[in-house]
Amino acid sequence: MIVEISHFLALLATGLFLLVSCFSLIRSGDMYISNLISRTYSHAFFFLLGSFLIYVWLAITDNFSVAYIASHSNTELPVFYKISSIWSAHEGSMFLWILFLALWGYLFNARVDNEEVLKPMSVGIISLILVGFLCFLLITSNPFETILPFAPSNGADINPVLQDPALAIHPPTLYLGYVGFVIPFACALAFLINGNSHIKWEELVKKWSVVAWVFLTIGITLGSWWAYYELGWGGYWFWDPVENVALMPWLAATAFLHSLSVSIKSSNLRIWTILLSISVFSLSLFGAFIVRSGIIDSVHSFANDPQRGLYLLAFIGLIILISISLFAFRLPIVRSVGNIKAFSKESFISINNIFFGALVFSIMLGVTYPLIYEYLFDQKISVGAPFYNAIFIPIVVVSAIFLFFSIDSKWQRTIKIPFFGGPKILSYFLTVIVTVLCIYYFETNSVTIIASLFAGFLLVNRYLIEIFLVVSRKKYINPYSVIAHFSLGLLIISIAMNSVLSSERAINIRLNESEVYKDLNIYFEDIKVIKKSNHDAIQARFLINDTKSKSFRLNPEKRKYFTRGQITTETAIHATPLRDIYITIGDQLDDGSWVLNIQINYLIRWIWISAILMSFGGLMLIFSSKRKHS
Amino acid sequence: MNPIRKKRIYNILLVLLFTVSGVSLILYSLNSNLDYFFTPTELKEQNIPIDKRIKIGGMVLEGSVSRNESKIIFIITDYESAVKVEFDGIVPDLFQEGSGVVALGFLNEDIFYAEEVLAKHDENYMPPNLNIADDS
Repeated sequence: MIVEISHFLALLATGLFLLVSCFSLIRSGDMYISNLISRTYSHAFFFLLGSFLIYVWLAITDNFSVAYIASHSNTELPVFYKISSIWSAHEGSMFLWILFLALWGYLFNARVDNEEVLKPMSVGIISLILVGFLCFLLITSNPFETILPFAPSNGADINPVLQDPALAIHPPTLYLGYVGFVIPFACALAFLINGNSHIKWEELVKKWSVVAWVFLTIGITLGSWWAYYELGWGGYWFWDPVENVALMPWLAATAFLHSLSVSIKSSNLRIWTILLSISVFSLSLFGAFIVRSGIIDSVHSFANDPQRGLYLLAFIGLIILISISLFAFRLPIVRSVGNIKAFSKESFISINNIFFGALVFSIMLGVTYPLIYEYLFDQKISVGAPFYNAIFIPIVVVSAIFLFFSIDSKWQRTIKIPFFGGPKILSYFLTVIVTVLCIYYFETNSVTIIASLFAGFLLVNRYLIEIFLVVSRKKYINPYSVIAHFSLGLLIISIAMNSVLSSERAINIRLNESEVYKDLNIYFEDIKVIKKSNHDAIQARFLINDTKSKSFRLNPEKRKYFTRGQITTETAIHATPLRDIYITIGDQLDDGSWVLNIQINYLIRWIWISAILMSFGGLMLIFSSKRKHS
Repeated sequence: MNPIRKKRIYNILLVLLFTVSGVSLILYSLNSNLDYFFTPTELKEQNIPIDKRIKIGGMVLEGSVSRNESKIIFIITDYESAVKVEFDGIVPDLFQEGSGVVALGFLNEDIFYAEEVLAKHDENYMPPNLNIADDS
């Protein structure tokens, strides 16, 4: 039986990972042990990889004797979705999650020299975490379970909303981001265990952390985009618990990268950097717990199972407890060198970290408070967008203004940062003009919108001027920082404009009649039933004209899938750089007309573009440092 | 007290002050932005101000769904009490009579004006508190 081979390889890998972590406990500094750890880890990884590849093969060949594949795949599916069905539910996605964790360990193991003092211990810690999660997989959520002797002739099919290219790549990208932070975490712990404060663990993990951050950024962006067009949520962010638990590690990771750069440059903020590296990984694990324990209702949450929740909670609690006690115990050795000077880059980064900490704290509160409240007072509550907006908008606006002034600051020294002077006057001037124009054209008097627009334009204008100075006067400025922070400005502007300009309405429309919404004239041309291999669809056709007499057709659908009887709505989107015309079709009313939901979403693409551009800054940094090394 | 120690105490106090005021601000805005969840029966017992955003959950009463222009009007029930809901928009795919639903909005003179209607993406879903009601 092929599935047993796959199962056996996973067990073998677990045993070997356990062995690696035992080896790492033996006195360090011995080259023989270091080589042994490195080699054993590689073997363990290849066994796990083999196990996963066999599992993929089982999914491709429709081996429905495997219970998990039988309940999540189907012979009718294209091969692409047969593979992605593996991570469409709990067991398989956990398997992938663990494989990626092991993959990061493998790459770290392969690329870092065996003579690196912290390497054996780091690899040992990663192995120990892997053992914990593999036990979780094999004991509480075994993907290798079989239905024998009577295997079903066909599978139950993947949930139709998951049959989408974005979904096939969104979870893997996100997982790569989440688990990538195991490397800074493991190295920080190895550093604490080693106890020699002269070792520069920060240098070692920089590149790895940036790569993980890039994956996390892209993963979250893909998720946001997928929810917009496939789930038909019609927006980019909903403060859904599962979005929140992805945003927390991202914010902590962003703070970590900043703090890391200070620790590398001037050995300052070392305690804080270690604490953040522990937080980022713990928050990633916390996200896995929230999603997989079923403790919170969400679109993403997998089936509710108290046993899984309890195991994960205990395991994550143990990891956090051990790392925090170790941290407290070794606190004396990681004292920072020297003070942080006022108005230096370090001081600004410290302020940024405080703000990011406040944001993470607020989300944590928003996610956990309803649980605590229900437990204490037996009253269900939920925390929605108003709370997060009330926290995020002021903090982001103020940080953006701090960022604006930090551009002039220097590393490790105090320099006077005049309020006017240099490129600042021009930035103020441009920003005030643009903001006033926006207020005038958008007819808005909302303070939060005006403040956000002002802060966003301040950043964008300033960086545009700086880029101009770089080109014309050969002024040096860190290019990655410019890209990442310019994108932040763009993101703030896009979000602010999106929220002030976008509008939505449900209208009733009859066949062969027109309705007018804003500057759009919507003509209902046709509606028909389409029969596809795995679903029936009602497809409507609308001809839409805008005032500039540009016309286009949109075909929203309602589908009913055979295997699960599930009804899904297919959105139809006309995208231009400025705005999206986004329509979905609802039910037919008794008088024969149809309900049509129409949204005009301004600049929504720019929100995702900004996020991708931001991660592009990170990517550039990775490739540039690679060149420097060779 | 020597000046260094004095300065250190000032710094610690300053940090404490900032932390406490920051945390209280966050808690304050959390408290003023909570959405309470009620079943129709619980709703009857409460006196909810018009401007308070709440969530109500229950089952869509069979035969109660009607439409008026683009508005959809239906009744949410927990089989003890019921509340009339008005919603201007498209209900989710899994919204149907006799199935679970959660609505977010404002209550005004016995009519609930929903801003958002959610149906759980699970055919076996029961709104919270109803499982118990059914068993008894």
